[in-house]
Amino acid sequence: MIEVNKVYKRYHTHNHQSTGWVLRGVDFRLPKGLSLGLIGGNGVGKSTLLRLIGGMDYPDRGKIVRNCRVSWPIGLAGGFQGTMTGRQNVKFVARIHGNTRRIDEVIAFVQDFAEIGKAFDEPIKTYSSGMRSRLAFGLSLAFDFDLYLSDEATATGDASFKAKAKRAFNDRVGKASIIMVSHSEGILRDLCQAGVWLRNGEAIWFDDIAEALKAYGESVKKPPLRKAG
Amino acid sequence: MRSHWQVTWSVWHALFMREVLARTTGDRLGWFWMLGEPVAFIVIMVGIRSLIGRTGGIIGADYIPWLIVGITAFFLFRESVIRAINAIEANQALFAYRQVKPIDPVLVRSALEGLLKTTVLMILMAMSTLLDYDMLPADPLGAMLVWLSMWLLGLGGGLVVSVGARLVPDIGHVIKMLMLPMFIMSGAIFPIQSIPHAFQRYLLYNPVLHGLELLRADFFTGYTAVQGVSFEYLWHWNLALLALGLALHLRFAARLKAK
Repeated sequence: MIEVNKVYKRYHTHNHQSTGWVLRGVDFRLPKGLSLGLIGGNGVGKSTLLRLIGGMDYPDRGKIVRNCRVSWPIGLAGGFQGTMTGRQNVKFVARIHGNTRRIDEVIAFVQDFAEIGKAFDEPIKTYSSGMRSRLAFGLSLAFDFDLYLSDEATATGDASFKAKAKRAFNDRVGKASIIMVSHSEGILRDLCQAGVWLRNGEAIWFDDIAEALKAYGESVKKPPLRKAG
Repeated sequence: MRSHWQVTWSVWHALFMREVLARTTGDRLGWFWMLGEPVAFIVIMVGIRSLIGRTGGIIGADYIPWLIVGITAFFLFRESVIRAINAIEANQALFAYRQVKPIDPVLVRSALEGLLKTTVLMILMAMSTLLDYDMLPADPLGAMLVWLSMWLLGLGGGLVVSVGARLVPDIGHVIKMLMLPMFIMSGAIFPIQSIPHAFQRYLLYNPVLHGLELLRADFFTGYTAVQGVSFEYLWHWNLALLALGLALHLRFAARLKAK
């Protein structure tokens, strides 16, 4: 369903100097119906990989093939225009995805799911991170994607919202799958089957998310010791 | 699966609705100034003229209609370019959706400016006709064609500037600064005919002057445009700027989106 073919990515500073490679030859195939957890330390390129899969950014080398309806990366970073209200942002996204005729339906669904009350008609820049994630997650569920991309989409929500999000997602198992970046092992185990551990810009595939978490956990427990001075 | 054109059309529709909303609710007197700015300029210029005591008009046209045509056409060009400077930055968050390309907000803003400025011209035309000025175009089709060409010149300029200003922010400042001398040198408020012929030669490099003069010639039967203006020259600029702008957007699409 998704093919990531030897993808390389690096970023450039303003002076046109390039930073090192963030991703170096990441290569895997995600079959239909399988949900994937992306794990790894901070700054190893999990969000970058998700952005590339979502088509928000382009790889420097290699190719990503999407053969299904893929959502945008749902999470804290981006996706909402701060000066527009929640309702206006929802309308915008509904229109982009060609849902102009059922726009009221989409708005009703998101409003109901996000439960942010009057804030729905206030500019997004006034939202707390929890409110943003409620809106973002609810919005993505208003469309029938085959593959959802979640970049810590529920991390800042409270317990009741997390439970609701998980329930909503479990209802879609079989119809849709997810690629998820998260630091919370619980939700990864609940929603994902396979795992990819990103390490030094390379991807290590695990058929079982539990094994991926175990391998990653062990590498964290035994950090390479280095003497100071 | 939707076709490419369906997706593009949805994106333009969505962005257009967003821009209309931002334009009309963004600044408090947004609506007022669209009409207020050209009217203010006209009042000021007429005031200055009667102060200097120059009552001799422009040959073949009343001063006020002459001024209205020049100012609105110049604003059509100017706003298209100026609004393009921030078009990409103002919509950066929306590039999270891969359907939205950096060129889309530029195109949509330019289209919106075109519609707004056309409305402003219509209103001013109606107002001055009611005040008994001869303000209806003598050659309506020709006038529409030149008006459209001026809009395309703004679009071409906007496409180039939107990429330039996003990659090198200083370009945006320079363009904004250049617009004042452009306003004067394009003959929007001062007749270029009254300038010595030797200088006119250099001013004629400016395509906006060509556009304004051609438009006036289509509006007023007895009006003779500055010698040397040509529709062809204007369109050379149009095609060159549009091609360059599209090429820049194609070349830097990834960088503009990621920034």
